[in-house]
Amino acid sequence: MALDGRRSASHARPVTGSPPSWAGRRIGIGAALGRVSLALAVAFGGLAVGAGYWQVIESSNLSSSGDDAAVIAAARNVKRGEIFDRDGERIAWNKRDANGEPYRVYASTSLSHVLGYSSRQYGTAGLERAWNAQLSGVVSADPLRELTRKFQANPSDPQSLTTTVSLQLQEAALEALGTKRGAVVLIDPRTGEVLALVSNPTYNASGIADPATATRIFDRLTSDERQPLLPRATQGLYVPGSVFKIVTAVAALGSSAVGPNTTYDDQPSSERRGWLIDGFRVRDGHHEVTGDKPLDFAEAVEASCNIWFAETGVRTGGDVLAEWASRLGFGSPLKFDLPTATSQVTNGEGDGPGGFGDRVELANAAYGQGQTLVTPLQMALVASTIANDGVLMRPHLVREATGRSGTTTIGPEVASRVLLPGVAAEIGSAMRLAVNGEIGRIFTAGAALRSMTVAGKSGTAELDPGTRPHSWFIGFAPYEDPQVAIAVLVENSGGGSVKASPIAGDVLRAWRAWARP
Amino acid sequence: MIAAAPGNLRVVGREDRRFRFMPRFRGRELGLLGVVAVTLYVGAVSLGATERFRESLADGEGGPVDLSTPADPGLLLTYIAALFVVHLAFVLSGRRTDQLLLPAVGLLGGIGLLLMIRLPQNLAGSLGGLAQTQLVWLLIGLGIIAVLAIAVRNDVWLRRYKYTWAAVGVALLLLVFLFGNETNGARLSLTLGPISGQPSELLKVILVVFLAGYLSENRPLLVEESTRIGPIKLPPLPYLAPMVAMWAIALGIVIVQRDLGAALLFFAVFLLLLYVSTARVSFVVLGLGAFVVGAAALYFLFGHVRTRIDVWLDPFADPSGAGYQIVQALHAFARGGLIGTGLGGGLPTIAGRPPIPALHTDFPFAALGEELGLVGILAILGLYLVLVQRGLRIASAAQDEFRAILAAGLSLVIGVQAFIIAGGNLKLIPLTGITLPFVSYGGSSLLANAVIVGLLIALSERTRDPLPPPRRPGRLRRLFDRGAA
Amino acid sequence: MDAALLAIWVLRLIFLAMLYAFLFFVVRALVRDLRAAAREPTMELGRLVVVASPSGEPPSGSTFALDAVTSLGRDVNNSIVIEDEFVSSAHAALTYRGRAWYVEDLGSTNGTFVNGGQVDGLSPLAFGDEVQLGQVRLRLERARP
Repeated sequence: MALDGRRSASHARPVTGSPPSWAGRRIGIGAALGRVSLALAVAFGGLAVGAGYWQVIESSNLSSSGDDAAVIAAARNVKRGEIFDRDGERIAWNKRDANGEPYRVYASTSLSHVLGYSSRQYGTAGLERAWNAQLSGVVSADPLRELTRKFQANPSDPQSLTTTVSLQLQEAALEALGTKRGAVVLIDPRTGEVLALVSNPTYNASGIADPATATRIFDRLTSDERQPLLPRATQGLYVPGSVFKIVTAVAALGSSAVGPNTTYDDQPSSERRGWLIDGFRVRDGHHEVTGDKPLDFAEAVEASCNIWFAETGVRTGGDVLAEWASRLGFGSPLKFDLPTATSQVTNGEGDGPGGFGDRVELANAAYGQGQTLVTPLQMALVASTIANDGVLMRPHLVREATGRSGTTTIGPEVASRVLLPGVAAEIGSAMRLAVNGEIGRIFTAGAALRSMTVAGKSGTAELDPGTRPHSWFIGFAPYEDPQVAIAVLVENSGGGSVKASPIAGDVLRAWRAWARP
Repeated sequence: MIAAAPGNLRVVGREDRRFRFMPRFRGRELGLLGVVAVTLYVGAVSLGATERFRESLADGEGGPVDLSTPADPGLLLTYIAALFVVHLAFVLSGRRTDQLLLPAVGLLGGIGLLLMIRLPQNLAGSLGGLAQTQLVWLLIGLGIIAVLAIAVRNDVWLRRYKYTWAAVGVALLLLVFLFGNETNGARLSLTLGPISGQPSELLKVILVVFLAGYLSENRPLLVEESTRIGPIKLPPLPYLAPMVAMWAIALGIVIVQRDLGAALLFFAVFLLLLYVSTARVSFVVLGLGAFVVGAAALYFLFGHVRTRIDVWLDPFADPSGAGYQIVQALHAFARGGLIGTGLGGGLPTIAGRPPIPALHTDFPFAALGEELGLVGILAILGLYLVLVQRGLRIASAAQDEFRAILAAGLSLVIGVQAFIIAGGNLKLIPLTGITLPFVSYGGSSLLANAVIVGLLIALSERTRDPLPPPRRPGRLRRLFDRGAA
Repeated sequence: MDAALLAIWVLRLIFLAMLYAFLFFVVRALVRDLRAAAREPTMELGRLVVVASPSGEPPSGSTFALDAVTSLGRDVNNSIVIEDEFVSSAHAALTYRGRAWYVEDLGSTNGTFVNGGQVDGLSPLAFGDEVQLGQVRLRLERARP
């Protein structure tokens, strides 16, 4: 009598033998609907779990990443902090485009390699990159406020920067370089504040920042064979030539391997045919003026005697030279606001002490040839160390970051105590001779000023045959109370040191005018 | 021999139900609509205050901000008024229909409208901006709900012409195959003269109507076991044909139209309805098997499917290319966090545009996730769940199988569609370009979902109450009958 | 400015709270409906006992619980399917209206009979009455308490 309901063609269930129920009247549908509805509820539970995963567990990871649209939009929509030079001159500020989104404008192309740019299309470079967080306000100057940021409607606190550079000096340095490729670095040796950091050729950073012109200008710059986007002062690596003799002097005198009065008896006699070391001849070109007199340290600097320094280098030893150079900043990127290339005494691939290949390489390195490569900024630091009684101050480009929540100040900081003051004074005195002495004047013509005493050293970096040498000048002034250290590099300027020295003279003259209002 | 009488069950007592004006108070609906109105108003005030506050910050002034005026009050108040007009129409019609669906749908539509008011108005829309266009479609949708919910008392036109509906659906599909416009590589929309729309939205309603007719008619036969393949018991082979056809159509939609979302929706709803009407798990297993086989084949044969799956598996592999939209959506969810940025507080724009171009159509769930947070979207998921549960409740209380399967299918379409797009936004399943029902911008979607809600409300009429007693025929009629006899 | 910020925060939270308030009311209504449905007495308004059925479908002696509208006929869409060659596909309908049962012939070929008399249109049906469609006879009975 009792029937299997499913087999019955009737939809109305026979109730015989089973309790009558409205819900059970249609076999399957009621129960199946219940299960389907449960399944859907479970599926929606899955959605809730998924949402919880992204919104709670992964929330801070994703929303703080640089790819986050809010971070990008904040960078685009927040008016970045303005940038001022050390004289209070505004050197970077904002304009608004048709969408109301701000874009950057810069005061001068002479600043491009310092400030860099902040562009929607091409990101950031220079100080705009290094200080991006502060300029766009993602990081607050006040750590307590940093904690409560999430609860603020407008958490960004764009900070304005005060740089250590002077627009006036930047423009003067760029003007002094003229059409020549090269770099000028001016540092206050007492504080490490960079007063000017110029690379030439430079570029129009405002053009990259302006969304209307960015693509056109950027494409032109990247295809320009003169590489205007390369920050030569900080990232250009050059053979130093004779200016490196100051580094050798720091190592040799600092380690007492030689003294100020050290002379080499075979030096005068080797001047004609070159000093022979392991089959290589170190040559020189000053025999006409120095004759047969063995040169001491100061005279060797003044005459830029390759043989004296080659012998000193060999006597000092490769490991000592490399060690003292590293105290000056060689061998690792400088701790600086901008990325820097690593200056090297040697490529370090050799088996000899300090990584030199052999004594020939060491002898060549000691007077700035060999495998030695330096950045203009590094050479400015060498001059700065001598000027500051042997103490290297950490170079920096920003003095202050000021936001709604306060001001962060970046003060002077000792990077390394390299030399005893007396040793530094010896080297400084020799550098004064190199600019003002009877012989030195020939090599550094144009660097000496009437208004103050300049100390320095010039250099000619011999390159491959057929390539015109680089011209260098490093120094400081005034000699009596050093307030500025300088490095000038002119790429492929041609024979002699005549190209960099007069530029240094011009820049120091401009500094003099700027420093004495 | 006796010939079978043609035709189906005539709705009994139709001639007795002459129209009588008998308003019926709907207190529950009125109360809930009141809550909806207050909620939307608060949302608009919050949006307006946040937007003005942001503007004052952008200007850098920080002066006093007007905190009490809602954003775009005209649009929102028009919408709320329309909700109450529909309610009034329901009251006047006197039908004993469901009172929860209209407020729930009204709240979802209102949240969608708030979102459209909040987004940049130049994203889309021909009638003076995004929000205005959306409002026009919402009002038309409410009109459709009202008309269907009040006027549909007879399902014969749906039930009897199921093959006609199927033909219409296939014709629509063919039209899209032939003349569809491509957007983002998918052939989704169709332009016929001045009208353009997404036929797949209409197609989903037609599909449910057809399936309800087919399944309710052949239910006993489908349950019968006459084919056996190993341990799997199958219905008689001829009745498997529609299953296979459905599977083929879903594949065809993926291949030709490249509309993964619609294919997924159709196939899922089909399987669920098959289960509802037969209670046979083996069908679902078989269908899922066919789905896996088809999906695997598509993955290896078609580049666009492969791309979609690969992007789903690891969108961060190419965050600025193929994975861009989904990565941006996940970032939006992440920015929202637990309680969101508040309406108007999130959704950063880059060059005046939101980072996701299809924010208003494909990613409103992500947008709401950002501005309302986890707390907010859980509430929204809850609303969809309530809608579906209510629809399934209507199904289980329906008079007959056709109505039951129809109601179940209609509510499942909404639930499954919401799941597919929300799951896609959340990277739980591959992302597809279908809309979030009632919230997404777009006429086709709003109108199709309005048809669904209108039908559901009409189907919910409580007929289990005793029918009114037959009215005694008038004296004239009796005389006439006697004379005729 | 901070007061404005606070006000906006409060507005945001109120909006979220309102969403949940709505959800609460809707879910409460849903649950109440479900409870009411569960509490409702069985909707059985009467039952139909198969007195004679030569074809065996429905089997004689079986009993069907009746709904407010019960359709009878050969078509599978009917509430009660009758496999009898003298029964039309949509043959007759039993309806509960007001407080009484009615039977209605739906235009069948062979007619519907109540206690031997042919039904014409809507005709009242009392408990104990016998309805005949083709060769199948069914008796209306009171629902069991």
